[in-house]
Amino acid sequence: MKYFAGVDVGSTQAKCIIVDEQRTISARALVETGANVARAADRCFAAALEAGGIARESIACAVGTGYGRFKVSFGDLQITEITCHAKGASLLFPQTRTVIDMGGQDAKAISVRDGEVVDFVMNDKCAAGTGRFLSTAAETLGLGLEEIGEISLRARNPVRLSTVCTVFVESDIMAYVAQGKKIEDILGGIHSAIAARTIALVRRVGLEPQFTFTGGVSLNVGMVKMMEEKLGQPLNVSADSHYMGAIGAALFASEHALVPAGN
Amino acid sequence: MHHVDTLIGNESLEEIVESCVQTIETPGFADAQAWKAEAPGRAIAGCFPVYSPVEVFDAAGMLAVGLAGGGNRMEIAHADSRFQSFVCSIVKSTLEQGMTGMLAEFDALVFHSICDPARNLASVYQRNFPDKRVEYIHFPQNLGVPEAIVFLTGEYARVATSMSELTGKYPSADALRGSIAVYNEVRALIRRLYAIRSEAPHRLSARELYPLVRYGNLVAPEIHIDVLTRALAGVLQREGRPRDRVRAILAGSFCEQPPLDLIAAIEDAGCYLVDDDFLIGRRFFYADVDASAEDPYRALAQAYVDGSVPVAVKHDLRISKSEALVARARAHKADAVIVLCAKFCEPALFEYPLYRRALQAAEIPHIFLEFEEKMWMFERTKTEIETFVESLLFA
Amino acid sequence: MTELQYQGHLHQLQKQLMANYYAALTASAEGSGEPAAYLLIGGNPVELLRAFDILPVFPEVNALQLAVKKQSLPHIQAAEFMGYSSDNCAYVKADIGQYFAGRKTPFATIPEPSLLLCNYVGCNVYLDWFGHLSEYSGCPAFQLDIPFIRSKSGFPSKDDVDYVMRQLQRLIERCEEITGRQLDEDRLRECVRLSSLTGELWSKIKHLTKHTPAPYDAYFDSVTMMAPLYCLRGTPEGLVFFETAYAEMAERVAANRGPLETERFRYVIEGPPPWPHLRTFRDMFSRWNAVAVASTYSTVGGLWEFGFRHDPDHPLESIACHLLEWNLTNRNFLQRYEQIERYLDEWHASALIIHSVKSCRLFSAGQGDMREYFTKLGVPTLLIESDLEDPRYFSEAQMRTRIDAFFESLGHRALVQEASA
Repeated sequence: MKYFAGVDVGSTQAKCIIVDEQRTISARALVETGANVARAADRCFAAALEAGGIARESIACAVGTGYGRFKVSFGDLQITEITCHAKGASLLFPQTRTVIDMGGQDAKAISVRDGEVVDFVMNDKCAAGTGRFLSTAAETLGLGLEEIGEISLRARNPVRLSTVCTVFVESDIMAYVAQGKKIEDILGGIHSAIAARTIALVRRVGLEPQFTFTGGVSLNVGMVKMMEEKLGQPLNVSADSHYMGAIGAALFASEHALVPAGN
Repeated sequence: MHHVDTLIGNESLEEIVESCVQTIETPGFADAQAWKAEAPGRAIAGCFPVYSPVEVFDAAGMLAVGLAGGGNRMEIAHADSRFQSFVCSIVKSTLEQGMTGMLAEFDALVFHSICDPARNLASVYQRNFPDKRVEYIHFPQNLGVPEAIVFLTGEYARVATSMSELTGKYPSADALRGSIAVYNEVRALIRRLYAIRSEAPHRLSARELYPLVRYGNLVAPEIHIDVLTRALAGVLQREGRPRDRVRAILAGSFCEQPPLDLIAAIEDAGCYLVDDDFLIGRRFFYADVDASAEDPYRALAQAYVDGSVPVAVKHDLRISKSEALVARARAHKADAVIVLCAKFCEPALFEYPLYRRALQAAEIPHIFLEFEEKMWMFERTKTEIETFVESLLFA
Repeated sequence: MTELQYQGHLHQLQKQLMANYYAALTASAEGSGEPAAYLLIGGNPVELLRAFDILPVFPEVNALQLAVKKQSLPHIQAAEFMGYSSDNCAYVKADIGQYFAGRKTPFATIPEPSLLLCNYVGCNVYLDWFGHLSEYSGCPAFQLDIPFIRSKSGFPSKDDVDYVMRQLQRLIERCEEITGRQLDEDRLRECVRLSSLTGELWSKIKHLTKHTPAPYDAYFDSVTMMAPLYCLRGTPEGLVFFETAYAEMAERVAANRGPLETERFRYVIEGPPPWPHLRTFRDMFSRWNAVAVASTYSTVGGLWEFGFRHDPDHPLESIACHLLEWNLTNRNFLQRYEQIERYLDEWHASALIIHSVKSCRLFSAGQGDMREYFTKLGVPTLLIESDLEDPRYFSEAQMRTRIDAFFESLGHRALVQEASA
């Protein structure tokens, strides 16, 4: 049996997916990236091999993706996470036409046909509207990132945010706290503002269903609901959403079809 | 909701101001649309800041509506895909107004040589709204040479021709002289109110004066004259004594406008704003434009070249803008200067280093702040102003 | 590595000629007596200065040299300390920083200006920049006010031309005051004649990239030729440089040689380069075997490839037309769309890269609309963002990911097209 590996090395986490010849996921692993990016790639690859009980020699091809893709020393190819997200999304949700990816540093909208990227846009230099904005907000309120989505669902009178600027959101939140606004209403306002900004980004590649939501923020139920409300459309979300880049990379490994960049 | 023009007689100054506030804070351009619907052949020109020769549009049978951005209640959903995050808010909100249909009744849009984003916005408008007439006025930047007036006279005539294609009415010399006379009256009333504001700031706050002036962006000049006249009567009836407050002049907000609540917050922090450059294009001239000139186009051009106030987007080698600011502070007996610039507004931001140098040399205290029209919370700005005022009062 | 940046004879000649030019600047700064005029690149009327033997100094060229040599940041920071905003054009900040640092740069000592010639061709920042230099140096500024192209036809009006001609007369008077001598009309004609020949060669060089493979990169290699185009135009050395350049490039076309071993993608690029990270940026394209076949940036100083030539029989009129009509910065944004469309079509390019620089809003404000326009036309378009002078505004990993993803998707398209062909 031959296997194919995809390793997505992001700024905070490294993820590995191994698929077999039938494109079925055989193993997955996730480790914190830490300071040494190359070692994180090795560690999560080893962890996935171990989890699946797969021998290293049976990996026919490995593809690196994510910001650390050039640090995947055992990789045969490097492909960006944009291309990989499109690929991965179309495996899990074959009707995907638009991928919305929200990670820690970036927000992306990718227009997809048959698993291939037609067009994509990313947030500009400004970090407004990315996962970092949400973690700043959570931190200001003394909450965990994983709980804010749930709490935001209870908002009855969401506040209006005067900025989605990551630098200034803190003082806005503190002002609302000082005014005695409820935490859920503040969080409701924050989720609404970010969702609106993300949809403005998606509009640039066209609002074509089905939408598949990927990246760390896709695990936030508050954000999923807010985006669905504003889009008037359901979002495809998978428990493996944050593995989407690694899944796509593993699929590319199995196809070995892309022509690599010159080295 | 009541409109100012439907009020009759003896309402108080507060009531007049509050109906102006209502009008300017209601999205859409209901008054302009109503004006246009009143008679056939009427048209609306939307004039982007800073200064626009409104008389030319008026004389061509148009209502010159002053565009002043989207305020802090508009969500930008489309325009920020066209202009990047480092472009100021008013450029985006003005495009958003078009993209959400708010300017559907506008026949023409007019932009001016004030900055690069505003100029590129003219092109973006032209492409996205091919049914609208988009004009771009190039103001001379070498004031002080005779050919500048000749050029600008020609420029105004060019725009007049363009507008007459929309209304079928080329502004005759008589019509233009008439429009100049009407807007002279508007400007004289505004000058009068500003003079009172400087002499007796306790009789009229900036929070009140601002909406009175801004109201003129949205209605015919005759209506504005009526409102300003009644407001002036109300102001003159007010009594009381000035309180112990810092007299400050404000500079830097000549294009994008700060939210009204921010203006109020600055005053509440303990300032009298005895002069400012909000909506400066509405009161651009020191004195009346010659309304009996043989060539009124030339008279308007001459007023721009030789009789208009200094502003960051006008380049006049005959004067130093930073020295002019110091002189203005002295003339208004100001204790301090507040430099309030729109975020990402390059012309305003470029003024600041020279302002700072000149103000420091003249030993006039100042504070530098940035705002955005879409601001909703002012806690930080308020704290900064309060601290500044305290530092002056307890110095 | 497939990257083979062009390093022929012309590269050596450029270095030598620019070194001579900078030596003249330093000599002027040290009291050679040769007056120096600061002026701006957009549509620069350098012929008029050359006719008076006034040395042209381009603060933009100095600023970008500082950035390339990784010297811009301390100057930018010094200017920010004076009150310039992080949102102000970093060219201006670097220039003002170096002005107060004694005008000593690694390539020259920049002389104090005898004339601050603000050729206002579209860029509103120019006005502030030279206004500030005037306040700091005490040298009066001369505003050459060029009406922007605002007609649908894309042409200036007769009034526009008259207005500029009157101002050029005034400029001549100012130069006569500075130099103490009258304009020598034969000399002006000669400078304009040299410019005309130079423009002809530059235009031919630009048309050579229509060839496949393109003999040089019309973005990264064009910049080598742009400094002589501004600093030496209107002089015999300037002409020799372009004769050499054309001969070498024509030879490369004949030999089917390009800047890369293979040419896989041909693209058009809009916007100025990220000077502080030029090499890194170039490599991001080279590794995909992607070559720029046309660039809008190389037309800031003039748009010769679309037909403009100076006219020695009408020297002032042709200088006026150059300022008004035949440069990128004085043309409106939609004319730039047309320019790019022509490049895509006539230079056989299949993609558009928009490099959006924060400093220069003349270039960048509204490029989202441009992206929208070309995407709707079916042209694969990538918008990336950094800065032309401020090294802090460059995120290498983010930039690389976007460029890689773009070419991955282009590469896939090419495969599909080949398969279906």
